[in-house]
Amino acid sequence: MKFQKFIPWLVIAAAFLFPFFDKNAYHIDVLVTAGIFILLALGLQVIVGYAGILNLGFAAFFAFGAYTYAIVNIHFHVPFWGGVAVSAIATAVFGMLLAFPALRLSGDYLAIVTLGAGEITRIVLNNLDQVTGGPNGLLGIDHPRLPMVNYDFSVHSQPYYFLILIFILAVIFFLRRLETSRLGRAWRALREDELAASAMGINLAWAKLTAFGIGGFIAGIAGCIFAAKQGTISPDSFDFTVSVMVLAMVVLGGIGSIYGAVLGALVLTILPECLRDFTSYRMLIFGVAMVVMMLFRPSGIWSSVRFRAQPLRANK
Amino acid sequence: MSILDIFLQQLINGLTIGMIYALIALGYTMVYGIAQLINFAHGEVFMVGAYLGLLFYTIFNQTALASWIIAPTFLATMIATALLGYLIERCAYRPLRNAPRLAPLIAAIGISFLLQNAVMLIAGPTDKSFPSILTIQKYTFSHVTVTNLQILITVVSIGLMTGLHFFVKHTKIGKAMRALADDRQAASLMGIDVNFVIAVAFIIGSALAGAGGLMFGAYYNTINFHDGYLAGMKAFTAAVLGGIGNIPGAMIGGVLLGVLEGLAAGYISSQWKNVFAFLILILILLFRPTGLFGARVVKKV
Amino acid sequence: MKTAPIWFFVCALVLSACGSSSDSNSKIKIGCAAPLTGDQAQIGIDMCNGVELALLQANDFAQQAAVSGVAPLQFEISRQDDQHNPAQAVNVAKKFVSDPAVLAVVGHFNSSCTKPSSAVYNSAGLTQITPASTNPELSRQGFSTFFRTAATDEVQGPKGAIFAVKKLGIKKIFVIDDKTTYGKGLADEFEKKARELGAEILGHEGITQGDKDFTPLLTKIKPLEPELIYYGGIYPEGSLLLRQTRALDMKAGFMGGDGIATLTFSELATQAIAEGTYATMVGGDMHQVPAAASFIRDYESKYGTLGQWSAYGYDSANVFVETIRKAATKDRAAVLKTIREIPKFQGITGDIVFDEKGDNQNQFIGIFQFQSGKLHYVGPAD
Repeated sequence: MKFQKFIPWLVIAAAFLFPFFDKNAYHIDVLVTAGIFILLALGLQVIVGYAGILNLGFAAFFAFGAYTYAIVNIHFHVPFWGGVAVSAIATAVFGMLLAFPALRLSGDYLAIVTLGAGEITRIVLNNLDQVTGGPNGLLGIDHPRLPMVNYDFSVHSQPYYFLILIFILAVIFFLRRLETSRLGRAWRALREDELAASAMGINLAWAKLTAFGIGGFIAGIAGCIFAAKQGTISPDSFDFTVSVMVLAMVVLGGIGSIYGAVLGALVLTILPECLRDFTSYRMLIFGVAMVVMMLFRPSGIWSSVRFRAQPLRANK
Repeated sequence: MSILDIFLQQLINGLTIGMIYALIALGYTMVYGIAQLINFAHGEVFMVGAYLGLLFYTIFNQTALASWIIAPTFLATMIATALLGYLIERCAYRPLRNAPRLAPLIAAIGISFLLQNAVMLIAGPTDKSFPSILTIQKYTFSHVTVTNLQILITVVSIGLMTGLHFFVKHTKIGKAMRALADDRQAASLMGIDVNFVIAVAFIIGSALAGAGGLMFGAYYNTINFHDGYLAGMKAFTAAVLGGIGNIPGAMIGGVLLGVLEGLAAGYISSQWKNVFAFLILILILLFRPTGLFGARVVKKV
Repeated sequence: MKTAPIWFFVCALVLSACGSSSDSNSKIKIGCAAPLTGDQAQIGIDMCNGVELALLQANDFAQQAAVSGVAPLQFEISRQDDQHNPAQAVNVAKKFVSDPAVLAVVGHFNSSCTKPSSAVYNSAGLTQITPASTNPELSRQGFSTFFRTAATDEVQGPKGAIFAVKKLGIKKIFVIDDKTTYGKGLADEFEKKARELGAEILGHEGITQGDKDFTPLLTKIKPLEPELIYYGGIYPEGSLLLRQTRALDMKAGFMGGDGIATLTFSELATQAIAEGTYATMVGGDMHQVPAAASFIRDYESKYGTLGQWSAYGYDSANVFVETIRKAATKDRAAVLKTIREIPKFQGITGDIVFDEKGDNQNQFIGIFQFQSGKLHYVGPAD
């Protein structure tokens, strides 16, 4: 029993040590991509998993974060570290604005609004040439740089790996605290029964707005890191497939579970890379794998049944 | 051409594509109404319908059926897509009936990857040219042109939709469907075979999507393995616009979306067309949160 | 909950198993990065088939040469799918970079993918030739490893305009593009030059890639009575645009870039409707180059219909074959050094002469016209 307590620390230590054992830049880079998707999945977990609102346009949040950093960096030369904050906050505000229709709509009607918002965002990015560079996108975005030692991250993989690992750990720490907070419990009530929740005095509007806000905040961080790593962004990176994949990561990993989101993102990012040798057959096999995984683990790889089975008062 | 003529022409263009949207939207709305499931693979069934339509057309064209080819092609395509719909339901959705609500959604996404790539690998990634299933004739009324194909599409669509309407309202299975949509648990206690009724919904929805795919191919003359994505998304929007779960709503939603889109592309800007489609949807939902014809859900404790 | 750690373990095992699959043989790998799944799969597969054919022929040649005592070099293609997604493109780039057997890369297809990945190749000293990315910015990044055989939009677009306005004497043009990097770049440059030459641009509109219904847009254009519709984009939408133009009884001519210069275009639009459509393409008449005739024969017997980027992929791969043969070492630095030392490569789409930025200096643009289902070479653009 005591040993179990050490498992998370062992996992964290292993994650930090991994690049010292595996020096293959490709492997690390795939993990960095997975890391960006882990952040996105965690952000969506707040909206879908905690608050129970289906969001089919999460790529818009990701895009907003990425373009925010790109624009403030190119026009106002804001460095990465300031850019992260700007992106995260701007995307949180964007998310809350998007949530306004959510106050009136419920269930799948809301899902289509988020889907529409995602498509609108992508088309706007593609058409507003003066601001977003249109289909060309924005280029010449600064990579992160460590100011004290004057180290430029450039196109290396390792520094991004550590950067994103730290952000993931911080977000996980934050979400774990949030889960059991007043807001976290309000979301859970909202997810289980909207009417009962409001009868218990939960401010539904506030709960929904904060879910979109916090989800957006995390997606903003992911977008900013993505833009900084790529050095150039274009609307190609933010299509509907991204929204769908992130949702699949959340559901396949386990709805409502932090570690499920992490695992789902890892599996669904690494699996297509494993299938590279199949070239054109790759996405076919991937589709079959998705269905099979869902059939074998209908409530996700790391299902959070525990949370629901537990009576609420145990969470005092 | 006067301004009115152009407007009428745009209206007719929008109406034709709107009919096809409506046919696909019916599949979304039926399955949603009965199983509360957004069947994301439905757009791909539509795309497969277009490919199967091409296949059957080519086969029948070499047989004695060639002289009245349209009917058997439609029939064969609809039967084949109905079968596909049943298979999808049986293999991917039925095992997940009691799983968390989003699990079938992800299975649907997996199926849609599968279908898209299977068609790409079997039929090849190039666009396929779709033959004209009838010799195009144009009828012009003071500069406004209507083709016989547009009329055929409209007639077939309205026919299929009316048939469906009667099926749901006046047959035993239709009644069971409505009962299931109302309250699944109560319906199953009343002795309704839930699995059977849901399977029927999938079969009918897929058959309609197949017909839609065939007409889509015949109208635009090229088909591609990724056609299902955009058309599916539009049809889903149409279903929600009309009030998801509501059959007449899906028809009107589809036609409305097609017309609005055509007008937006013709009068405002074609590159912003999809933005307008979604903006209108969001606006309508803000004023009518359950779509144009959706039931107003009053919650009781 | 109890089984979750077990599943976690299973996933971890499966994923770690695939990380360690690297076979080591003595073959030289040439990477080919392009979209191999998704809506642009056809284009990517065409391009990589061209690359593969070049390498297979080089291997045959090497076997023959081995008899006469020359050290045989064996080439192998590594096809990688970037799904025209820039993030995937960077993953692909890192994969090539970390595989020491990969000596050179043909790719990527889309400018949006080439841009971020070119930085990765440059940092690793891995030489890259893109046969298709036409964005002018790409060669201005100062990367010594970047080369391209494709003509930039800045060359192809204006050449098309010169032909349309000066040779065809067209006055009223409507410009349509598909809002992609390629299509928009081409259409913008065309429009600029056409205006300069005094043609009237009636309008410039974008369409959505993957869309099928352009009738509303065309109905709007019809009363403007353009003499020519210029389309920046690729053949699936291009052929539909043309078809729907004719369905509305519009007589306007139709012209595009190398994106529509494929027989598939006339197949989809039907031969009768495609008749008379103009397209610009890099290089002159392939049929007059003897090597090209045998290329087309070999290609079609192996892969079926010739794709529109197959020849560019083939030429790019042959540049590397010649370079690596000359360098005679399996070393990336030597490849990069040697490719700059060779003054001229002979390709089937024309000679390839790289300038110091990596652009192909021999940017000859030919005008082609669809005539009875064939692409007929009309002549140089100006």
